[in-house]
Parts: sequence; C-alpha cells; structure tokens
Amino acid sequence: MNEPDEKFERETRKLFDRSVESLDASTLSRLNRSRQLALAEAHQAHTGLLRWAPATGIAAAVLIAVIVTRGPTNVDGFDLPVAMTDMEILLGEESIAMLEDLEFYSWLDTVESEDGDVS
Amino acid sequence: MTAGVAIYAVSCEAESKGARTLQKERQLNQFLAEVERRALRIAEIGVRDRDEALDLVQDAMIKLVRNYADRGTDEWAPLFYRILQNGIRDWHRRQFVRNRVMVWFRRPATDDNDYDVVAAAPDLAGRSPEQELQNAEAMQGLEAAVQDLPTRQREAFMLRTFEGLDVAGTAVAMGCSQGSVKTHYFRAIHALRERLQEHWAGGKAQ
Repeated sequence: MNEPDEKFERETRKLFDRSVESLDASTLSRLNRSRQLALAEAHQAHTGLLRWAPATGIAAAVLIAVIVTRGPTNVDGFDLPVAMTDMEILLGEESIAMLEDLEFYSWLDTVESEDGDVS
Repeated sequence: MTAGVAIYAVSCEAESKGARTLQKERQLNQFLAEVERRALRIAEIGVRDRDEALDLVQDAMIKLVRNYADRGTDEWAPLFYRILQNGIRDWHRRQFVRNRVMVWFRRPATDDNDYDVVAAAPDLAGRSPEQELQNAEAMQGLEAAVQDLPTRQREAFMLRTFEGLDVAGTAVAMGCSQGSVKTHYFRAIHALRERLQEHWAGGKAQ
C-alpha cells in the first residue's frame, strides 16, 4: 500500500476509534448484559455436565468393583482352579495354547486321582 | 480399593476440569469485553440500526461461547467476526425478503421509522463542540461511504481497518482466500478515498 493509502487508513481508524470511545452509557450497559448472558449460558452448559460427573464416577467405580469381586469364575461350565484368575492366565508364562485343552487336563487330573484311589 | 481409586480419580478430574472451565470463562469474558464495542459499531454500520446491531452482537457472542469456547484464544477474533458477518448477511437477506412481501402493505414512511442520528451520535468526551461536530460529520460521511461499498469490500475494509485483523484473520472471518481479502481491501480503500477526499480536504478528525 502506498503512503496516501496508509494515511487514509490511519485517519479512518482514528475516526472509528473516536466513535467507539464515545458510545453512550446505555449502549455500554446493554453490551455488558449481552456478554453476561453469553457467559452465563457457557457456565450453565459446563456446570450441567459437571453436575453428573460425581454420580457417573461412583457408578463406574461400583461397576468396576462388582466386576472384579464377582466376575465369572467358570468358563463353559468348567470350574477353573481357584487361584487362576483371568489376569493370571493372561500374564502367565505358560503357553496360551495349553489353555484351549484345559478341560482335557482337568479330566486327566481326575482320572489320575481316581486311579490313585483304586491302586 | 480399586473403587476408591476410581472415585478419587474421577473427583480429581472433575475438579481440574472445573478450574479449566473457570479460566476459560475468564478469558472469554476478557475477549468479549475487548471486542464488543468495535463489533457493535461494525454491525451498526452494516445494518444501520443500533438495536438490530446489539441483537446481532449478542447472537454472535452466544454462538462463539456455545460452539468455539474450546478453541485457542487466538482463533476467537476471526471466528467471532465470521459469525457476526454471517449474521449481518442473514439480516440483509431477511430484510430483502420482508421488504418484497411488505411493499404491498406498507404505509407511507414516517419520521418515527428513520434512523435516529441524534440518538446514535457519540457523547462528548472532553472535546469542543466544534471538534465533536466535525468528527461526527466526518464519521457520518465515512459510514455512508462504507455502507455504499459492495458487501465483500465493506467487510474487508471494516475488519482490516476498524477491527485491525491481519490478512489471515480477515480471510478466516470472511471465509475466503487471503488473495481475495487483499483485492477487496485494495478496491475498498481506493473507492473510499475517491469518494471522501473532497470532504476531508478541509480538515481531519480531531
């Protein structure tokens, strides 16, 4: 932009700034009310969501507690050994393939113990 | 144990979120307080009515807070003015349709319906009545010239000169490319200079 354009721009901006500074009190008050209205809506929206946060948290915690303490302890009607929880199975070093035949090993264990009783 | 940890984590998260929300509300309040006066004058020049301009600014504030409060603070100004400019354009569309419908039912215009120049005139702020009069006349001339510009030129001029947005911010606010902003602005400046230079030759705003 050339110098006359920049000068014109400065002058118009100065003039506009004066008109902004000279807004009357009634208008400023209405602007303030509009701003507070907008902010109140934002506050209401946030507090509305936050109001449910503790209840949601407690419900989630109770659900977790129920799952942990009363979770399923048998699979397909087969009783797992007491100490063997799901996490232990997943974290254990044993081959996961063995778990697919767990029912067979349980049967083998039963047969062996029955054989032991007989003998 | 697990339940206790979960409750504690949720309550901490809620507390932290509450603090962030409070800070965001403070920042929003500060931003809106900074732009509201200029926004009002820009809207007023756009629609030539202070009450309508106040409504448009309020709508823009609410929409910004509702939809863009989570954006970065540096994005708020272009977004706010984009909402405001869209509001002004919608207002003109509604007026156009209303005028086409009402032209059959309209009574002859009375003075009551005219834009009240005296009511909208700025208050005195320590300047002499002559200076105030000179400024008011210059501003009225400028407003009339700006109002007669094509819409896009008017938007580019007001956002760049009155609000002080840079080219990138103006492009976001207008929803166009930076090249278009430069073109519209250049044309607006030259059209205004051509129209106003004879009025302003005698004296500047004081």
